[in-house]
Amino acid sequence: MPDETIGQHLKRQGISRRDFVKMCGVLVGAMGLRYAPPLDESGLPAHLENVRGFTSAAFIADTLASKPRVPVIWLEFQDCAGCSEALTRSQDPTLVDLVLNTITIEYHETLSAAAGFQAEQAKQDAMKKYAGKYVLVVEGSIPTDNDGVYCTIGGRTAVDLLKEAAAGAAAIIATGNCASFGGIPKAKPNPTGAKGVWELITDKPVVNIPGCPAIPEATTGTIANFIVFGALPQLDSLHRPLTFYGHTIHDRCLRRAFYEAGKFAESFDDEGAKQGWCLYKLGCKGPTTYNSCATIKWDQGLSFPIQSGHPCLGCSEPNFWDGGGFYQGQSAPLDRPTITAVGAAAAAGAVIGVGVAAANRMQKTSAKVEKGG
Amino acid sequence: MEKSQTAVNTFVKETGAWIAAQLEACTRCGMCAEACHFYQGTGNPEYAPVWKIELLRRAYEQRFTLSGKFKLALGLEKAVTDADLTHWSEIDYYACTMCNKCSMVCPMGINLGSMIHDVRTGLSNAQAVPADLHAAVEKQENEGSPLGVTDAVFKQRIEWVADEWEIELPVDVKGADTLVVFSSIEVMKFPSNLAAIAKIMNAAGEKWTISTKGREVVNFGFYEGNEELTVLFASRVFDAAKELGVKRVMVTECGHAYDALRWSAANFMQVPAGIEVTHIAGVLGEFVKSGRIKLKPGAYDNDGAITFHDACKIQRRGSHIQEPRDILNILAPKSFKEMTPNKEEAICCGGGGGVIAIKDADPIRYAAFELKIDQIKKANAKTVAMVCSNCRLQFTDSVQHFNLDVKVAGLSQMVADALVEK
Amino acid sequence: MNWENILEFARGPFFQVALLVFVAGMAYRLVRVLALGWKPDRVKAKGSRVGGVAVSFLKGIIIWPFVPWVKNTFSRNPVIYLAGGLFHLGLFVVIFLGTAHMLVWKSLLGIGWFTLPLPIVDWLAAGAIVAMIALFINRLVNPVLKLLTGPAEWLNWLIVFLPMVTGYIMTHHLWLEYDTLFALHMLAVDVLLIWIPMSRISHFMFYFFAKAIHGSDFGKRAVTP
Repeated sequence: MPDETIGQHLKRQGISRRDFVKMCGVLVGAMGLRYAPPLDESGLPAHLENVRGFTSAAFIADTLASKPRVPVIWLEFQDCAGCSEALTRSQDPTLVDLVLNTITIEYHETLSAAAGFQAEQAKQDAMKKYAGKYVLVVEGSIPTDNDGVYCTIGGRTAVDLLKEAAAGAAAIIATGNCASFGGIPKAKPNPTGAKGVWELITDKPVVNIPGCPAIPEATTGTIANFIVFGALPQLDSLHRPLTFYGHTIHDRCLRRAFYEAGKFAESFDDEGAKQGWCLYKLGCKGPTTYNSCATIKWDQGLSFPIQSGHPCLGCSEPNFWDGGGFYQGQSAPLDRPTITAVGAAAAAGAVIGVGVAAANRMQKTSAKVEKGG
Repeated sequence: MEKSQTAVNTFVKETGAWIAAQLEACTRCGMCAEACHFYQGTGNPEYAPVWKIELLRRAYEQRFTLSGKFKLALGLEKAVTDADLTHWSEIDYYACTMCNKCSMVCPMGINLGSMIHDVRTGLSNAQAVPADLHAAVEKQENEGSPLGVTDAVFKQRIEWVADEWEIELPVDVKGADTLVVFSSIEVMKFPSNLAAIAKIMNAAGEKWTISTKGREVVNFGFYEGNEELTVLFASRVFDAAKELGVKRVMVTECGHAYDALRWSAANFMQVPAGIEVTHIAGVLGEFVKSGRIKLKPGAYDNDGAITFHDACKIQRRGSHIQEPRDILNILAPKSFKEMTPNKEEAICCGGGGGVIAIKDADPIRYAAFELKIDQIKKANAKTVAMVCSNCRLQFTDSVQHFNLDVKVAGLSQMVADALVEK
Repeated sequence: MNWENILEFARGPFFQVALLVFVAGMAYRLVRVLALGWKPDRVKAKGSRVGGVAVSFLKGIIIWPFVPWVKNTFSRNPVIYLAGGLFHLGLFVVIFLGTAHMLVWKSLLGIGWFTLPLPIVDWLAAGAIVAMIALFINRLVNPVLKLLTGPAEWLNWLIVFLPMVTGYIMTHHLWLEYDTLFALHMLAVDVLLIWIPMSRISHFMFYFFAKAIHGSDFGKRAVTP
């Protein structure tokens, strides 16, 4: 029942106002006060003035409770449904739960009970009904080669479906590396011509939530931001919300001190690895990877790859699949010239050198020295 | 053919891999300037050793390297012109004694001294040599000596020395072991040196002789960089040695002649086999060490501090560093004091390399000598001993010019005066 | 074209091309010089030429960086001595003993080695940058260097300075994004690699020849080089 307000919906779900304000506190934290949208763009300048004296959690709670639930259309293209999995399997009792309660998912291929033309019909209806109001979430990359034949649903290509859904969307969120930057389908040689959403939709703001999968809290936090402020969060140059992508893994890494001290694990089973030393030499991409794995972590903050002893793969960065070996030093060049190429270069240089030297020696023999000029 | 073309062609001819490698190694850090007494004395940046080989560098890059040709075509670098030759003639002849101190401080170890000599060869071929120096060279070519020691003058001088100091000077003795060749500076300006060396040779019982044919050891062709005349002047000495059948040629108190005959001759001419070239400094050391002459210990201990000036060609480039010190430690064990820096790091007198023969170079020659004055003053020396008469000429002249209370002494003279008769 | 693409280009194809240009260029320079012909030194040696070469290198390694005050020129122009020394020390430590750079060598050569903790490398890098600025000022004010310095020298300075300063800023996450700086750093390194064989930065190769020639000449004369 998308027409009731979030407050009404929560009440029906048996969530007390006290619990709701608590959840909103978490939400405020997750959205990051530091990167709250500028007052004039948030649509809430007057409210914020009045809010002094209230906690921001209570303010968010009041704002949320009075708003209608937001319809969401979730499209999947060249994906593995991993981002959806991550989101739905998340047992986070507060944030994700809250967000899932504040939206109504009108269309989702993996979760949808309906199938076939019925499901497609439902989507068409929703797009018409909530035109200009729904949030479009995209999961998976979009193939563009050969007129996009590599991914079709109901006989229509992904490009076509995306453009149709994007036209009426209030906001577009690309979740996961595939939808953001093309992800694994885009890995060399990129046989399908896979692209991220923002490469195709340029007339509307697209928020990228890269990761493999995207951190559920980052996706839901962004949706929540849209619900509360009616606007998208502050983004970086790659359209990622600064709240979640403002720092590198390296900056917030629990092994950072070992990096500074020059203490590195040299292999996965050496003493350094057992001592929990830095994984930089094992190919950790932490220094170039912007994401909140090191702070939000996974499984309710239980752990994240580096904590568990594996270097960061850089899965939230564009082209991470082609960024050199996963276990090769992050500073190393992407490829090394073959010994043949090096030898050929040296030989070519030497041959030209011999040639020029021979010409110079001829100059030496032919140079005439006439006394006094 | 333009003069500059002759110079550049000379550079092209003489530039082998060893010169190319050194030119390529230069980072143009300018550190060599800090080693050059002419730069330090005058502050003129053009006297930086690296700038003295600028013409050689330009010729090398513009003729042998792609980047040099490219820069020349773009107008980033200028070709060598006749005006350049005139300009660099002053820089390379007035302000360089080819003492090679610069190569001691070069972080790359570039032997600037020998490369400046190559530049002089180019300038010499293009006849861009200062008139004074070239006149002296021509005089040596025509009269046998740059100071006008003709056959007649030489004979007269020898006879006079023999008379004056009542000493025996064997002339043109075939079958002698050692041919002693004096420099005309000694013959004309320090004749007592002839007597002193004769006295030492006689006291040591050495079978020696002087030659009327090979009577001049100095080689102004070497100063100028004139290859043909260098060979001519050197062969006069070697021919005499061959004719007299000596085993060795002893260079007296002269620096560059030793460099030319001992350390360079084999590379520019056919040196007769079996003839060794040695220097009086080495011979003195040998005589004292083997006991062939005996010296009065402490003979000079009562005249104030004595210091020793290392000549660039005899010490730094000739290795006779220890012998003079051993002798001074006998002659003046208490008053012998070193200047700093010394030995192979010593500061040059400023008069060598033909500089003293060029009248117009006098101001910078004196300016360079001020470094020496400073050293002498710091050592608080009353006497400066040396084994090079070119240095001695520069010291005598400059001491007079600056009105200093310093005695300038040749080591041979000091040894001769302190000989213990057997 | 965003910074990601530029970084990929600078770490990938451009780096490879730069490396090959570097190898070819250095081989060219070396062969062109060495094949110009050598003249045997026929002068009878008094001392050992080989010994002279050995001492020449030993002095270069020991006296130059560690006991410079034995040279009187040190007191005359200490800036160039200290700054030059500090620059080279910093450079060598950073490119051989910095972890990130060691991994580059490892990926190229297949072997890795011990590295120093970041703060040590970092201070030396900072020292090298300060030294380069000192050398820059020295070039501006020293009368001899004013005479010797042309566009080529300024360009050399700039091309060496850029990788150092971008690397430093990148390590400290200052001002720009890490990838942007990484891309700039790699571009600067690639340009440097290409520029080395065309400039006097290649002195590190000819150093060995010049030092050997110097040592041999002094060894022949039995004088300490």
